Amino acid sequence: MTGPLYKAAAIVGAAESNQIGFLQTPVTSLQLHIEAIRNVCDQTGIPVSRIEGVFSTGWSTELCEHLGIRPKYIDTTAVGGCSFEMHVHHALAAIYSGIIDVALISHGENGHSARKVGSGGTVSYGRGAGVLSPANEMSMAYGLVGAASGYAHAMVRHMHRYGTKREDYAHIAKVARDWATLNPRAAMYSKEKHPFGGPITVEQVETSRLIAWPLTILHCCMVTDHGGAVLVCSPKVAASLRTRPVWIAGAGEAMGHGNMLEMEDFTRTSAAQSAQAAYTMAGMGPADMEMAMIYDSFTITAAITVEMLGLARPGEGHLLWKDGRAAPGGNFPINTNGGGLSFNHSGMYGMPLLIEAYRQLSGTAEDGVHGVPGKQTRARTCVVNGTGGALSTTGTLVLIADD
Amino acid sequence: MSYDKPIPTRGTHTKPFWDGARLGKLMLPRCQDCSRVHWYPRHICPYCHSTNLDWIEGSGRGTLHTYAVQYVGAGGWAKEVPFVSAYIDLQEGDRMLTVLRGVDPNKPEDIRIGTPVVVAFEQADDETFIPFWRVVEA
Repeated sequence: MTGPLYKAAAIVGAAESNQIGFLQTPVTSLQLHIEAIRNVCDQTGIPVSRIEGVFSTGWSTELCEHLGIRPKYIDTTAVGGCSFEMHVHHALAAIYSGIIDVALISHGENGHSARKVGSGGTVSYGRGAGVLSPANEMSMAYGLVGAASGYAHAMVRHMHRYGTKREDYAHIAKVARDWATLNPRAAMYSKEKHPFGGPITVEQVETSRLIAWPLTILHCCMVTDHGGAVLVCSPKVAASLRTRPVWIAGAGEAMGHGNMLEMEDFTRTSAAQSAQAAYTMAGMGPADMEMAMIYDSFTITAAITVEMLGLARPGEGHLLWKDGRAAPGGNFPINTNGGGLSFNHSGMYGMPLLIEAYRQLSGTAEDGVHGVPGKQTRARTCVVNGTGGALSTTGTLVLIADD
Repeated sequence: MSYDKPIPTRGTHTKPFWDGARLGKLMLPRCQDCSRVHWYPRHICPYCHSTNLDWIEGSGRGTLHTYAVQYVGAGGWAKEVPFVSAYIDLQEGDRMLTVLRGVDPNKPEDIRIGTPVVVAFEQADDETFIPFWRVVEA
């Protein structure tokens, strides 16, 4: 069963920048954007001049100017890593309402190169915590740095509530790496590609360097360079293309808080609400999903999220990975690209989620640059969930393969 | 020795908090209409949306909601790693971030969620006293 918006709009193509990962020659975020846009237009046969709506995390005016696009619809939603799932939600609405037929969602972030050349551009995480925000005023004395410093508090509370051990969550990182070893584009594909690449054990995850206890570095995502773009189109346009459509059956977005000070329950996120909206729109539920793409900024993020999406009971999210169901060959594949933990994560990971979901459901998950087979699954439905900020904002999509 | 950790940039409506801190008092914003205490300090009550706000002197007591051990830190905190960060459930309601004193960061499993904590202030500069919390000795 599907909902009323099924086949109202489709993702018709998804592509990355020419290079992704820990790039030796520094790149700018804008360059990553432009390469990915060029590649998705080549893939689909849609010329840049036909793009009517531009969706990005604050880059839309710069992209339109750079590409000579005269947009009819501009969206700059920037609420962290889940912004791209929200962009799909917004593009669906814009197309369904008849305002536009062709929407571009673009991402470019030189998370790794920024250490050499600066981040530049107009990207904004949009958390609203300037120096004069009272939440920031009452937090800055305590020296917390980086996302891990906050997420670790949620992990401790989750462990306390459910009696889980840190090692339970380590399986999430181990399985992510198993998938990455099937994906030549993954930053941690092999030892040849990265000194710390190739397969890892749960014990290695557990004994790696501490960042914010209980999180060791292998419980944390990487920071790489990544650009990606997808095109979302009306059914009329989709029917005219050489690529296969992946239908957006349901979409939802939500937020629980901005600053972690306001996180009511450290063991839950607003994904429960965004998923409910997406499932309701799709006329489907978690039991109808055949795979999942889950934001794994940290192992705890993935564990909580599958619980919020109804894919596991509260406190049992980690079992999907520990029991091998989410792993290569398992009956419920999760994060088949290797995830933010082992594929790529440039700071905001929502775009790689979309690209991999498109590839899986269009049967092109094997078409990586080196053409190495192995990670294509037989899934026909996929739930995608992005998480942004400090477990703050969420965007959920229910995607379905074409008949 | 001068204080080398980050000193908060003050907002326009939080003077009573910092004035209280100098005197060792934990001042908390409270709504005069619904009587609920909230944290961080708002321009409007987050519960009933009244702007009829006041400050009360809190008890300085609470319980440990959750914690973590930081191995990376900003400014002078980098020299003090590992240190224990924590969220405190205030006796008056709502929750505050802090660095938890008087616990061993190398034995995080020994720290107990729900344990009683009290506030104490440390001087950062002539104007600024920063609240830190510590576990109540049994």
